[in-house]
Amino acid sequence: MALEFQQHRLANGLTILGETNDSAHTFSAGLFVKTGSRDEPTQVNGVSHFLEHMMFKGSDTIDWQAMNRIFDEMGARYNAFTTQEMTAYYATVLPEFTARSLEHLGQLLRPAIRQADFDTEKKVILEEIAMYQDEPSHRIYEELMAKHFANHSLGQSILGPAQTIRDLTRTQMKDYLDQHYGPANMVLSVAGKMDFASVIELAEKFYGHWTGPVPTRAHDEQLQINQDVRMTDEKLNRTYVMAMTPGPGSQDPMRFAARVLGDVLGDSEGSRLYWSLVDPAIAEEADFGFYPHDGVGSFYVSIVCSPENTDRSIDLARKILAESRTGIAPDEIERARNKLVSSLTLSGEQPAGRMRSIGGQWLYLNQYRSLEQDIDALASVDSKSLSDLMERFPFDPMTIVRLGP
Amino acid sequence: MKGVRSAAMQILVPAGSMHDLPTQRGMSNVISEMTLRGAGTRDSRELTNALDLLGLQRSMSVAVYHARYSAAAVASKVLDSIPIYADIMQRPHMIADDFDASRDLAEQSLVGLDDDPRTKSLIYLREKHWPAPEGLNTMGTAEGLASITLPTALEAFSNTYHAGDTIIALAGDVKIDDVVQRVGSEFESWKTGPKISTSAVSNGTGVHFIEQPSEQTHIAIAYPTFPEMTDEYYIARVSAEVLSGGMSGRLFTEVREKRGLCYSVGVSYGSLRGRASMLGYAGTSNERAQATLDCFLGELRRFSDGVTQAELDRAKIGLKASVVMSGESTSARAGAIASDFFFLGRPRPLEEITAMIDLVNLDDTNTFLKANPAGPFTIVVLGPKPLEITASI
Repeated sequence: MALEFQQHRLANGLTILGETNDSAHTFSAGLFVKTGSRDEPTQVNGVSHFLEHMMFKGSDTIDWQAMNRIFDEMGARYNAFTTQEMTAYYATVLPEFTARSLEHLGQLLRPAIRQADFDTEKKVILEEIAMYQDEPSHRIYEELMAKHFANHSLGQSILGPAQTIRDLTRTQMKDYLDQHYGPANMVLSVAGKMDFASVIELAEKFYGHWTGPVPTRAHDEQLQINQDVRMTDEKLNRTYVMAMTPGPGSQDPMRFAARVLGDVLGDSEGSRLYWSLVDPAIAEEADFGFYPHDGVGSFYVSIVCSPENTDRSIDLARKILAESRTGIAPDEIERARNKLVSSLTLSGEQPAGRMRSIGGQWLYLNQYRSLEQDIDALASVDSKSLSDLMERFPFDPMTIVRLGP
Repeated sequence: MKGVRSAAMQILVPAGSMHDLPTQRGMSNVISEMTLRGAGTRDSRELTNALDLLGLQRSMSVAVYHARYSAAAVASKVLDSIPIYADIMQRPHMIADDFDASRDLAEQSLVGLDDDPRTKSLIYLREKHWPAPEGLNTMGTAEGLASITLPTALEAFSNTYHAGDTIIALAGDVKIDDVVQRVGSEFESWKTGPKISTSAVSNGTGVHFIEQPSEQTHIAIAYPTFPEMTDEYYIARVSAEVLSGGMSGRLFTEVREKRGLCYSVGVSYGSLRGRASMLGYAGTSNERAQATLDCFLGELRRFSDGVTQAELDRAKIGLKASVVMSGESTSARAGAIASDFFFLGRPRPLEEITAMIDLVNLDDTNTFLKANPAGPFTIVVLGPKPLEITASI
């Protein structure tokens, strides 16, 4: 499996990143736009995600039915997602549909935003917000982000508050589109079986005429105070706990050590939290991990347990974090590294996995990283890297949110 | 498989939930959890550490017929894990402390189901639609879990962990001779046991309401279709794709895109051995739940009027593309090989599946849909208020 990387920049600023894999059976393409809920003014919070939905409602030349139908005529696996910091649109197809899929992704990102479609889709967004209200793990995550990042734009919800969505106008959405979807604010990531030179030609043909500004992202100060928030919901049977504390950001060289630490402390099996909380059945789930963002990052702890075991579970989790600062054994690190390397190897075998990884990483690093580079970076993590990491990020201060009956 | 460095393994042991005694429902979850808590010469921690050291991405879950153990990693590491899995299947410690914790965890998962109304509605649908024991909640019941003791767990383990109907499937950068040699030396002396038998009882129907003060109303709908091994199987799969494949599928288009009634709507093909059903779901706000149910059922009923050539072409290319894409994933292939072997008695090559999809044509599909209108339905509504069913189901 020889992977070859190439890149190109169109005159309008659109960057094209390609990783060719001759033994692949598919071609995967994605447009990654550097915009998300943290880039939204508060009065339009939720517009990035709503706009992502409106892309599927058609361009000036095709309607919403044709938009979905043409993807399905190619048998494409296609979708889109919005995070706090990026919005991505992607399709995986058989190689014979390379040109058509690139053309159609171009149609997708030039939405007409017709008023009638906007009004119908608003209802779908409000349904999606209601759906997440039935998912305790989502509710607690949103509350935690809002509290932990109270003075930071990362605290804004991706879906937005229901009332903001109700009040949002088509004109506001158009303005946001014009400001954030310029070609220099996005990358085209392609992977799998392809001829990169012809991908460049196709990109020039379909996206070469796009224009637009490059917005700047604000990097606010993070509020760092200890908070313990309790939410009650009589309908629930279990208590859901989530806590957050500062960690390295997406560009930080310590991010690889943070991944290893996440696995040592919080993997679903064989981690320190597992042995202390899940193995003796004190909690049903206990997880520790790492959320890197642009310029800022967090470690999180997540626990699901019975209401009566809540305090005990939180105390145990705190104890494990404190103990881990006295040192992590080399054999623990080796096991964690091996699991992470397997996971990278498996996702790297599918063009869709590489397309996402290359496109997503570029928005943060402005740099291509091969699978081997990431594997080597993980392999070099040792006890000292973990001590240095915990010296810099000592799990304090910490925001805790609980949701239960 | 060419072009991959990984391998994936799936072991299906005939210890699924259908083998639980009626008074001990949930047993299969307890014993399968216990098998991972120490086996052979390794205690619980040593066992987990040994699997982690190989870097295995792994999971274990209990399904209807089997307990399913999956592992994937760089190919040589997966082969190295075979002796460890042989210990887990044949020589788990199954000690008292692990029994208590395993049963507690199974009870906690069951209690947590009330906090997840969507999943709860779909589990309830299968219970009402499919006959027992295959249709029953694989998580068991509170009473069943409470009645389990260590001696009964040991007895259940002894009855269900055996070579009869156990399937070990590998896919990836491995050679069959190496696999046969490793599996052979580790499993050849394992005892055998009875083959899995399947129920001949007919499906249930009717409308069932579960009152729960949820934010949305959760609607789940099932009706029978044709299983694997029947002549109609590929037509049934392709027509299911017309209903719910991609974003131009009938249900997504009519219920969500045209009317904005909900975020999530669709049907999927679900099968037991010898029977299959379409299992549908829509989640929607309470005030729009009636309109959603009416529209959902209306589309299912209208389906017997037939499909267009364009719809059929999209469905076929969509299914074929998924088949080709699954050929890039060692985990997907290991899972499919194991499942094919159980349901069909042999794994199907990907080319065979795509060739069979190619054979599906418009005339046959429309004749099939006219002869087999959707229904009779089993409908589950979970939410604060029941809904009206306007026509017969």
